[in-house]
Amino acid sequence: MSVARSYKAQKVIDRLQLKVNRQIMLSLAACVHCGMCTDQCHYVLANPGDPTYAPAYKADRIRKLFKAHLDWTGKAIPWWVGAKSVYTDEELEDLKDTVFGKCTNCRRCSFNCPMGVDLATFNRMARGLLVHVGVMPTGVLHVAKDQWELGNQMGVLREEYLDILSWMEEELQSEYNDPTIKIPIDKPDADVMYTINPREAKYDPRTIAEAAAIFHFAGENWTMPSEGWDMTNFGLFNGDDELGAAVSGRLYDTAEKLRAKKIVISECGHGYRSTRCEGANWGKRTVGTPMETSIFTMLEYIKQGRIKVDKTKNQQPVTYHDSCNLARSCGITEEPRELLNLVCGDFREMHPNRSENFCCTGGGGAMSMTEYAPRRLASAKVKAEQLRATGAKIVVTSCHNCVDGLFDLIRHYKLDMEVKLLVNLVANALVMPARVAAVKPVAAPEKALAGRRILVVDDEPDVRTYLRMIFKDEGAEVIEAPDANQAMRLLKTERPDLMTLDLIMPHKTGEKLYWELRKDPDFTGLPIVIVTGYARVETPAINFHKFIEEKHLPEPDGFLEKPIQPELVLDTVVNILAKKTIN
Amino acid sequence: MYHTSPLLHFAEDELQLIALLFMATVYALKIRWILRFPAGGDRQAPGNARTDGPTGAKRSLLSIAMPWAMGSTRQHPFLYAQFVVFHLGVAASILMSFVIPYAPGLIRGPALIAMLQALFALAALVGIIRLIRRLTDIYVRSISSPDDYFSMVLLIVWLVVSALAAPNRRELSEGPLLAYFFLTAFFLIYVPFSKISHYIYYPFARWYLGRTLGHRGVYPLVKGA
Repeated sequence: MSVARSYKAQKVIDRLQLKVNRQIMLSLAACVHCGMCTDQCHYVLANPGDPTYAPAYKADRIRKLFKAHLDWTGKAIPWWVGAKSVYTDEELEDLKDTVFGKCTNCRRCSFNCPMGVDLATFNRMARGLLVHVGVMPTGVLHVAKDQWELGNQMGVLREEYLDILSWMEEELQSEYNDPTIKIPIDKPDADVMYTINPREAKYDPRTIAEAAAIFHFAGENWTMPSEGWDMTNFGLFNGDDELGAAVSGRLYDTAEKLRAKKIVISECGHGYRSTRCEGANWGKRTVGTPMETSIFTMLEYIKQGRIKVDKTKNQQPVTYHDSCNLARSCGITEEPRELLNLVCGDFREMHPNRSENFCCTGGGGAMSMTEYAPRRLASAKVKAEQLRATGAKIVVTSCHNCVDGLFDLIRHYKLDMEVKLLVNLVANALVMPARVAAVKPVAAPEKALAGRRILVVDDEPDVRTYLRMIFKDEGAEVIEAPDANQAMRLLKTERPDLMTLDLIMPHKTGEKLYWELRKDPDFTGLPIVIVTGYARVETPAINFHKFIEEKHLPEPDGFLEKPIQPELVLDTVVNILAKKTIN
Repeated sequence: MYHTSPLLHFAEDELQLIALLFMATVYALKIRWILRFPAGGDRQAPGNARTDGPTGAKRSLLSIAMPWAMGSTRQHPFLYAQFVVFHLGVAASILMSFVIPYAPGLIRGPALIAMLQALFALAALVGIIRLIRRLTDIYVRSISSPDDYFSMVLLIVWLVVSALAAPNRRELSEGPLLAYFFLTAFFLIYVPFSKISHYIYYPFARWYLGRTLGHRGVYPLVKGA
């Protein structure tokens, strides 16, 4: 008797038969259930006793499908070899929880499997099967949509991107008092076409300025493209080869159009892997333009004497976190260390390291899947212990995803440490040519938020990072909370002057926290600025305005919608605090 | 001189050949099946000058003999030792199924026989330990199928019978040898359909993984400080 299968489940089965290649088939067939991979996974180590986190268990969820539909024995006697198909949409949701929520595709188990079973590769395939029928975490959907539609995964508009480059160029000219510093855009026949992670444009534009300064002082003939500049690729995370080919293809085409001699990829593990290693395979094309990571470029500049660095400028103890994609999938382990030893005075190795390093826990697109954040942070315990044992004050990584993942876990586990990229350290260690160094120092203008303490409450690490940067630039001390409960604790202990509050967060919503604070005599006077992506009154489920009306609560001091506009945020906060001071 | 019974003669000769032929046929079909899946390529430029695809593939294939190269085997030397003993026992028993009927003179002398019996007994003991682990370790139990348990029990019994058959004293009793050869024939027929056929996949899986990682400049791994 045949069992009815849902439309989506049938589609998944149909596509499975198309997506299994020889390598995946071998990985699916070869597992002997020996369990040697078990304690090599950070999820297992942080959740002892729960077999559903074990790599072989997670792999078996996919293997059961393979056996049921592609394997001889599985088709003949499924119960004997553990073959099992999927029939319902609920089963697909359950599979989603495993392939997206319990694995970061870090590939550590693959390297520890005696049989050479590469779970990360077929876990990615399984993600792709689910994405094909629309079963995926909401964040993954949004990011992939942005990358399809706007060409970058953070929805940065062309004008916005060009504005940021122009802003950074002005900043550099002002900082070095050198009007010749440029960020050339779409310059043909450049020796280097520099491509970045949109997180840099959106949340951390200083890294663009730092790279630009390095190119400038190295005398490089370089450019940044106005299109096809995003070297990240959500196709790697969501298993969508078509997206992967389209995104990397845009970049390759741009390089060809500009006749760039080399593509330099800024620091990003998955971006480098996607652009350098996977894009040609996804697009089934040959890429003529050579590519390298900016780690190599910076290292070469120093070795060739094109830039001078002074390692005494980076004196704090530093450790290095190997990005999974760089170390385990691209073999980049030694160059970052060589560079670090050139630009900092106290480098300490983390253990284990290189290809045996543990994931930052933010990989595989995990940072975009906020529903799994508690699970991610719990599993980050292993990484936190690794970091703590180094005694370093700075953890350097070469990946923006890792920056966010590490930043989050450092906050969560209260480590006395900050996260930096190699470019930050190289730029800081730069020894200016005499002409520039002779510039007279200009007195810094008084900062608008000097002496203020601001609490930023948001479950998205990128948003917290961005707001922190905006407020810190103006001299504020910034404290952060990823959820309402931590916010409440920090409000009591840190007594901030103002709080920014997101509305949609796990565990307890921002609405609830707002309500509690406005009822609490200790906090009725605390200025609160709502910063939310769901502010519109027509969104019924999260109608904040209706909520405060029903609860007879006062309006918040400020109400801002995402995407964040830095000037607006700053003006709002400065004005509120100024009014508070007068009152 | 003792004359082997027709049943034992059939079991150690014709039956073995039939079972081997069957196994080889199924394996040939299995390899054809593997090759029907299109192989993913590596179109990108090589990762670095330190290594390449073939070097990575070779290292990957040999990794099983390098317990220091993998964290999982380095951290669990007892499990690795079990793996070695168990597979040596199985390999010796397979070899013995050819030696007894076709070159019995190769297993001669009490010392060699005692060594073989000890190896089979030790391998069977490892099998029991592995079976217990499969039943009690929550992680391994959660992924185990009936085939996993049956394959393990089959091998334990086969190794015990191998130990009893190793002296090849058919003049005293043909029982152990009959049991050994019938079990071997069953083993040969069952193997291609069970997890025991993993050794067919091993060289392919390891080769492809190593080739890809070698091409990307990952394999052989650089040892950490």
